[in-house]
Parts: sequence; structure tokens; C-alpha cells
Amino acid sequence: MPDRTKNDHTSNGMQCNEFDLLLSDALDGVLSGTVLDRFQTHARICKTCGPLLAEAEAGRTWLKGLTEVEPPASLVSNILASTTGVDTQRLRTMTRAPQPRISWWEHAQASYLEPMWAIVRQPRFAMSFGMAFFALSVSLTVAGVKPSDLGQISLRPSAIRRTYYNTQARVVRYVDNVRPVLEVQAALRGIKRNMNPAEPGPAKQKERKNDTTQQPEQKQDRNYSQTGEKLILASDPLGPSNRDLPVVSVTTYRRFV
Amino acid sequence: MEDVQVVAMLVRRCIAGDATAWEEIVQTYNRRIYNICYRFAGTSDDAQDLTQEVFIKMYRTLSSYDASKGAFVTWVTTITRNLLVDHFRKTKQDRMTDSMDSTASDHEDAQPLSEQIPDQSAPPDARVRQRELSDTVHQALGKLSPELREAVILRDLQDMDYKDIASVLRVPEGTVKSRINRGRAELGRLLQRTYRQVM
Ligand SMILES: [Zn+2]
Repeated sequence: MPDRTKNDHTSNGMQCNEFDLLLSDALDGVLSGTVLDRFQTHARICKTCGPLLAEAEAGRTWLKGLTEVEPPASLVSNILASTTGVDTQRLRTMTRAPQPRISWWEHAQASYLEPMWAIVRQPRFAMSFGMAFFALSVSLTVAGVKPSDLGQISLRPSAIRRTYYNTQARVVRYVDNVRPVLEVQAALRGIKRNMNPAEPGPAKQKERKNDTTQQPEQKQDRNYSQTGEKLILASDPLGPSNRDLPVVSVTTYRRFV
Repeated sequence: MEDVQVVAMLVRRCIAGDATAWEEIVQTYNRRIYNICYRFAGTSDDAQDLTQEVFIKMYRTLSSYDASKGAFVTWVTTITRNLLVDHFRKTKQDRMTDSMDSTASDHEDAQPLSEQIPDQSAPPDARVRQRELSDTVHQALGKLSPELREAVILRDLQDMDYKDIASVLRVPEGTVKSRINRGRAELGRLLQRTYRQVM
């Protein structure tokens, strides 16, 4: 792009930067009188601003020819499902239809169990429950509890006391057995420490520049470059590195009906 | 565009937990937000995801809207724009990885715009032609740098005034006007070149 400040034409009393400032107003049709005359004269004689006016006018005409596109029919229900979690359309049809009498158990099932089951069925929760079950079964196995024992558990105070002392004795025996192993491990660690210099602590997390996602919207100052220092006006595919990206993690429904 | 009192009441009802008020907000603004996202991001899939993200963000931060600081539509547009910046920065990373993985020949962007636009020798049906023309302008819009693209979208497609655009983009009005001029001129140049080559 030519340096517009050096390309000024002052013969008609208007400079290129003034022309640039007035260009959008001129295309909006709000210029009049001597300002409009000076603007038009400058456009005629300036080799930079004349073509700029023509191109901007053409671009504006193209853009004005673009009509609004119709959002997909499912968009609103998807938005409602991902915000309030309620498909209001379905809700409305349900309230309009006559409700058959249902038992308290069916009611509880529909109001509490079904929503809970829906959450549990989600892959990430199912995974968590699976892991929790696995951890529990491992802990019970390590503690020496067999599923067959559970049926024979006696809850009488004397029986509980006996179970407590048995378990305590088992833990003491276990600690005694592993003590030599722990001592060897501690000795090895000591040798290793003497051979290596002190390890650095956990690296302090680098402060994210340009990540303003936690601020109120009206105070956020974002731009398309990653550095936050200077605007990059052209989309340069080999621009500055952008490793510190704010990650927006939300659940959106595209094919939800 | 909006009645301040009506919108303020709607927001208050919504914060109080009125689901119908929220649905009204969604019904009123989804088209506008979807269109901004579609014109900026380029595809319907991205526009749908982004529109949902905008509403999720709105839903979570509705209580922070301050009517004394500006119109609700400006606030909504600011949220939309901020998410578009995040999206651009995120996909820029993806695009850089993609460009390293793929050769130029299989990349759609590598084609000149004149080769991407539909065949002009197709039946001269006015509606088909109008659609082809819209597609061409839409593609050309995607070639503008994000700063110029957002400026012309807000001005020429959303008819926002310069003051509100300046508030959304957080730049002075003079900068807004300059970006609009350059965005329009760049688009004019791109399409002029395309049609000169084709016709
Ligand atoms: Zn000039």
C-alpha cells in the first residue's frame, strides 16, 4: 500500500488522510456542500484516492447484495438444550396433552431417576463410575475382603470389635513385612540425592497474555494476534506462535432435535 | 432496534429464572448472532457451534449486563465478537498444522478465487446466478483479514453505527472507519479481479 501521508494533494485543500476519514461518510451519503465538493475534487485528481473510492464503493455494493441466511431449524432448540437443558418445544407439547394418572413410583422415576440415569449414561460419567468401582474393588481385595464374606458379616458389637482387632493385627503384620523393603528404598533415594543436584520445583505456570475470558465482556480487550502487543491486520499463516490459546470447552448440540 | 425498557425487563425476568424470558431472548437474537458467525467463520457448522457458545456465555453472564453502559444488542455482539476472536486464534493453530500436513494442491484455499467460483456458463437462471454471486462474495469475505472482515460485517451486513462498532471492537471510531474503507476496497479489488478473469 502506498504511503498515504506522503501522497497528499493539497492543491484543493484536502489531504489523503482527510479523504480517508470522509470516505465512509461519503459512501453513506452524508457529505454535503463544500466538504463534498472538496472530496470529489480530491477523488478526481488523486491517483491513490480515486481508485480507492471506486473499489470501496464496489465492495460496499457487493456486501449490500448479501442477504441474511436462515439459521438451521434446530438451532433454537439446541441452544435451549445446551443452556437451560430443557427442550421447551417438547415441554410445551407435553403440557398441552392430557396427562394420564401415574403412580408415585413412575413420577419419581420420571422426575429424579431418569435425569440422573441420563447423566450417568454420558460416556465421561460412565467412565468415572467405572473407575470408582474398580478402585473400590481393588481396595477391598487389598484389605482382604471377599464378596462371599459380606453375607456373613455380623453386626453385633462384640463381633465388630473382633473384626477391628483382627484387621489391626493384619495391618501391623503387613507393615512389619514391608519394613525392610521401605528401608532399602529410602537408602537408595538418599544415594540418588547425593549424586544429583537439587531438582527444581514445579515450573510456575506462564501467565496467559491476551486471555481475558474470565473478565466481564465489556472490559475484554481482544485481538486476533497472539502477542497482544500489536494488531496484525493481515492473516499471516506464518505469524507469531500461538501456543497459549484460551480453550473454550462447551457442549454444543448440532444434530439435536 | 430495541426497546431498552422491554429488554431490561426481559433480562431481569431471565435472571429471576423465567425460562420463557430466556427463550424469548434466544428467539430474538439467534438469527443475528448466527449470521455474524456464518459470515465471519464461513461455514454453517462453525456458525451453529459458535452461536450456541455465544448463548451459553450469555446465559452464564447475563447478570453482568449493565443497561447503563450500552444497548443489549451491543453487549450480545461484543460476546459474539470475543468468541470469534477465540475461535479464529484456535483455528489458526489448526490451519497452521493443516498447511504443514497437506500439499498446496489439495488445499481449497490454494486455488485462486476465480477457479473456486461456479461455472458462469451454467443456465442463466436468475436465482441460481444470484446464489452463485452470493457464494462468491461470501468466499471473498473470508479472504479478508479478520480485523477488516469483522468491521465490514458489522457495518454493511448488520447495519451497526460507527459508535457501537467502536464499542464492540474497543477501538476509536476513526480506526473503525479506516478498517471499513480498507475492507470494502479489498473486497472490491478481489471481486473485480475475479470477474475480470471469468468474464
Ligand atoms: Zn489522495
